[in-house]
Amino acid sequence: MKILSHTGNPQSAIRNPKYYAWIGWIFALIALLLGVVVLSLAVGAVDIPLRKAFFLLTKGQGTPEYAILFEVRLPRILLGFAVGGGLAISGVILQGMFRNPLVEPYTLGISGGAALGVCLNIVVGGADVLGPLATPVCGFVGAAGVIFLVYAISARRGGIRLSRLLLIGVMVSFMASSLIMLVMAVTKTEDLHGIIFWIMGSLEEPNPFLIKAVLIISLIGMLLSFIYAVDLNTLSLGEEEASYLGVEVERVKRAIFIIASLLTGCCVAVSGVIGFVGLVVPHLMRLLVGGDHRVLLVASYISGAAFLILCDTVARVVIAPMELPVGVITGLVGGGLFIFALSRKSYTF
Amino acid sequence: MGGSKDTLRVLFTVAFFFVSFSHALSFPLKAKGDLERSLEIVHPPQRIVSLVPAVTEELYLLGVGDKIVGVTIYCQRPPEARAKEKVGTVIDVNIEKIIELRPDLVIASPLTDHKQIRKLRRLELRVEIFDAPTDFQGLCEGFLTLSQFVGKEQEAEEVLERTKRKLKAIKKEIEGIAKSLVFVQIGANPLFTADRASFINDLIKCAGGINIASDAKIGIYSREEVIKRNPDTILIVTMGIVGEREKEVWLKYESISAVKNGRIFTVDSYRVCSPTPISFVETVKELARLFHDRH
Repeated sequence: MKILSHTGNPQSAIRNPKYYAWIGWIFALIALLLGVVVLSLAVGAVDIPLRKAFFLLTKGQGTPEYAILFEVRLPRILLGFAVGGGLAISGVILQGMFRNPLVEPYTLGISGGAALGVCLNIVVGGADVLGPLATPVCGFVGAAGVIFLVYAISARRGGIRLSRLLLIGVMVSFMASSLIMLVMAVTKTEDLHGIIFWIMGSLEEPNPFLIKAVLIISLIGMLLSFIYAVDLNTLSLGEEEASYLGVEVERVKRAIFIIASLLTGCCVAVSGVIGFVGLVVPHLMRLLVGGDHRVLLVASYISGAAFLILCDTVARVVIAPMELPVGVITGLVGGGLFIFALSRKSYTF
Repeated sequence: MGGSKDTLRVLFTVAFFFVSFSHALSFPLKAKGDLERSLEIVHPPQRIVSLVPAVTEELYLLGVGDKIVGVTIYCQRPPEARAKEKVGTVIDVNIEKIIELRPDLVIASPLTDHKQIRKLRRLELRVEIFDAPTDFQGLCEGFLTLSQFVGKEQEAEEVLERTKRKLKAIKKEIEGIAKSLVFVQIGANPLFTADRASFINDLIKCAGGINIASDAKIGIYSREEVIKRNPDTILIVTMGIVGEREKEVWLKYESISAVKNGRIFTVDSYRVCSPTPISFVETVKELARLFHDRH
């Protein structure tokens, strides 16, 4: 991986052609994202010509078409943007921190914890107490519980040992899935459906407040992680080397671990376990824009968002009026795309 | 290392406690019936979307089949229902399609994705959830409620009157005949049966049988227990499993009286799983014949 630390004076650094390339990529990806958004608005089980959209915006309130475009399709796009972007940068951060290409946001048991929280909520009937917010709240509590647990166990006596953190995360993840199986085995059939729906993940979220919340959290997460971009670059040299270069390794590790975990926790709590985005998008972007985290984070956020919106659109239309779980498409499209890219270009993590 | 082992042990204990506790809690909190919520009907709905196959069938029985504008792909009965616009499956519906149909009543099942129901309600559509009945009584009540929704109480009363009379006649016929011990298989791998809370339990009772699994708390059932309880009849409901293959499996256990006497039957799943009052009575009649044909 190429490590960036610009030597020489800042003036020459700004004129570095690399930056033009970066800006070019970012604009290209933004254009792609916009294209995907328009496509996603335009297609669905019901045909609505896009030309009509502008008319609907001004005069169409109250018509079924208006409701379909702006109250069914648009919220999904917004949630797809937030979750896709959030999961992708979590993946970038964690892969960079662990220097391990197989790490993704769910590796450390965050999804397992969230799923366990949601399962228990569905079985206990938490919705009667907390209303429609019960599922996301319990999901987040489960995720946060696992983060805290994994962190507390592995961060003892002077700093986090990454290999230990990773192993404990994987173990907690296994334990969570066993407990989920236990809950499912003793659950009533009606409840079982709720659990399976949630585990498969979906961008359908009726509550606009939750969508806004995830959107804001996801953007804040992006900004926060950008602050640590240079530190991440240095960390990828190795922890010892980074500390020689003046990075406060422990503080940085702690901060980025918490950012990535909470971000993932929020995404999972609302949308369920949507796999593959956090694994494949960072790798694809590394192939495309290189390993410098300053551009990698931004590129991953945008393309993660575009990727998830696109997959959700495909999932919506492919067997309409039925819908596929979006995870089916993220896995198939993402995996296929990645293998294709990998076979065409030499890639070392 | 010793410390972390302790932590794990504590965690395990806490988790197990939490899980068992939560399960214990789950029984009394049954979903409250949405049906009671809004019964005042100003005028009967004209555009109905039915997401429950049994409800679709019942709407036709009530004579309002022409008011249905959307159904699920599983709404195959009566044949007329097949021509209606499809809006998805029982558990996963297409919201866009439903909005486009501009229904004034959407009837959903408890299996329908709750998020989708909330979404439809947010879009100011009237969605009523029809709880799956657990016995004939509940089935009749549900049928009556449905008839109130569409303003056809009179018709419903007549239908129920007729079916209850038929049921009584069947019960009279099998009076005094020894009851048959029945095991119902509704799933394989793991072996799955109908517990007390299921509809099938009531079907068997009405047809003069005793469900050997009626004391089971959950549907997963052990084959050993079946052998021990020695049912006279085994019913295989072909729901996603191939009935004949499952029959082969049972044939290996010759100690079971049902196997010895060749009394393993397969039943069509739609008859026992999504009944209307009329099809319920028909099924009872058929089961009664199966249970008692040795006499």
